[in-house]
Amino acid sequence: MINFEHVYFTYSPKSPIEFEALNDVSLTIKDGSFTCLVGKTGCGKSTLIQQLNGLLFPTKGKVIVDNFVISSIKKERTKKLQPLRKHLGIVFQFSENQLFEESVEEDVAFGPMNFGIKKEEAIKIAHESLKKVGIGEEYFKKSPFELSGGEKRRVSIAGILALEPKILVLDEPTAGLDPKGSKEMLSLFKKLNESGTTIILVSHDMDIVFEYASDVIVLCDGKVSYVGKPSDLFLDDVSKYSLETPMLAKVVQKLVSKGYSLNLDKIHNLESLVEELKEVKHG
Amino acid sequence: MAKITLGRYSPYTSFIHRMDPRNKIFCLIALMVAVFFQYSTWEITFIMGGILFLIVLIMMFISHVSFKQLLLSLKSLWFVVLFLLLINAIIPPKDASMIAFSINGFNIYFEAIFQSLKIVLRLVLMVSTTMVLTSTTKPLDLTYALEWYLTPLKLIKFPAHEVAMTISIALRFIPTLLDETDRIMKAQASRGVDFKHGKMSSRFKAIISLIVPLFISAFQRSEELADAMEARGYDPKAKRTRYHKMRFHLSDLFAFIFCGAVMAGVIIVSHYGFTLNTDHFIPWLCIAGCGILTYIILLGIYDVESRKAIQ
Ligand SMILES: Nc1ncnc2c1ncn2[C@@H]1O[C@H](COP(=O)(O)OP(=O)(O)OP(=O)(O)O)[C@@H](O)[C@H]1O
Ligand SMILES: [Mg+2]
Repeated sequence: MINFEHVYFTYSPKSPIEFEALNDVSLTIKDGSFTCLVGKTGCGKSTLIQQLNGLLFPTKGKVIVDNFVISSIKKERTKKLQPLRKHLGIVFQFSENQLFEESVEEDVAFGPMNFGIKKEEAIKIAHESLKKVGIGEEYFKKSPFELSGGEKRRVSIAGILALEPKILVLDEPTAGLDPKGSKEMLSLFKKLNESGTTIILVSHDMDIVFEYASDVIVLCDGKVSYVGKPSDLFLDDVSKYSLETPMLAKVVQKLVSKGYSLNLDKIHNLESLVEELKEVKHG
Repeated sequence: MAKITLGRYSPYTSFIHRMDPRNKIFCLIALMVAVFFQYSTWEITFIMGGILFLIVLIMMFISHVSFKQLLLSLKSLWFVVLFLLLINAIIPPKDASMIAFSINGFNIYFEAIFQSLKIVLRLVLMVSTTMVLTSTTKPLDLTYALEWYLTPLKLIKFPAHEVAMTISIALRFIPTLLDETDRIMKAQASRGVDFKHGKMSSRFKAIISLIVPLFISAFQRSEELADAMEARGYDPKAKRTRYHKMRFHLSDLFAFIFCGAVMAGVIIVSHYGFTLNTDHFIPWLCIAGCGILTYIILLGIYDVESRKAIQ
């Protein structure tokens, strides 16, 4: 479980370019949830994520990730961050920029090796993770710099999957991928989620959020403005959060206003909508 | 990351921030030169050093450069200090005569200590003056000023504009690359890289994992920038006007006169010591006056020219 307790974060404190990116953030992310973090550009999503594995420390308040404590007070902090970083993996925005090794497989194996896994074992894990993200064997020995942008992205995601984290945080992992590739990645995350991994996904695509999220957190200028289920969020007016209503939610809204009594909790994608409509018809 | 921001431009609106960058460079270089004058006795050396340090401290106060920042940037200097003391102790200055103390019959002279102190004082003054300059002037303004100073060299076909452009692009990308470094370090830290601890071999690997992506992104950026500049028809030879014009204000004149006075004072003291005498004073005053006049005339010419360019 992840707990934010009145977390404040300020960039360059006590200087003229001081900027408060997080303001009194308190929230809980349940184990095994698929939580989406949304909000307009610059509202502090990436900043919030970086508190999770101690890349940034709160200026006030604390974050608790299972047994780990990331606090503004030095004494309270968990001393060793290394285990936390294995426990909670973060795929950054534009993660393709982190590749550096001579071959794709070595790059992916780099993470596990940092956590003390022997090279042969790490390469084996790397191969598995690469297959998961849809990178075929013919790429394993290639230089990562010969790949296309989308392929690089997949390799960098594999680099984090190879750590086998219990909590996987993804900052806009599908931005810049083609629709098919993006769908593949999302169903991979969903599969991981179903096998017990907690997923935290930052996305600007509300269709994705509506389809995959079990919980949604909306940030607005560094403050939490909504926590709850996507169905409750999107059937309301979301323009006040500078968000867009997903296509499917619009359809459902229309149907509801036409008098269909649908079970909103069950509708995530087109198929489930059709199922619900069938039920209504038969019922 | 915060340490690298030492001396980075900070946007206050102090009097020093608002000075004409050309004048600011000139004045601060004048002050730096003043730091390097030799004096006849140690007392005068330290009194003058103290006065200059006081001036720099006041400047730091005006321009919001915190004293803590200065101390931070000097932290890496203590090794130099130790080294200097050692060298001076082993090889004392020729005229060394005053023994401060002796260790096992090995004499440490006052001169040796003074000599080291003097060098340290100069270093501190240099660093703090540079810090005042860089934290009160936008890098771009610095290069404009530099280009202005290089303009006369165009006569001998020196590519003043190109050099200034190159420098300003390089300066422009320093913060970008620092941010990039920060980002990559965080990404690699999330993959278990420990930049601070660990064995030599893993430290080496950690550095590689930072440098390779950094270089790649730097090359990529420079290529993109070159393409973008070309696509917009950038021609280094073209005549151009400035969006931000550098202006010489009244306050600049005061600053200039002040620096001129400090310079003159330093020169006089270094030549004649503290025994003031009007005979000595007047020639130097004349020289300083002539300098100021020439400078103002030059600035005037520049302003007229840039106004012509606009019309
Ligand atoms: N290193 C930094 N120094 C100062 N301010 C920063 C820094 N990084 C981010 N900020 C500021 O903090 C705010 C939040 O940034 P953050 O990167 O968390 O936004 P975001 O929600 O991830 O946006 P996006 O959707 O564009 O990724 C922004 O307004 C940004 O300008
Ligand atoms: Mg972001």
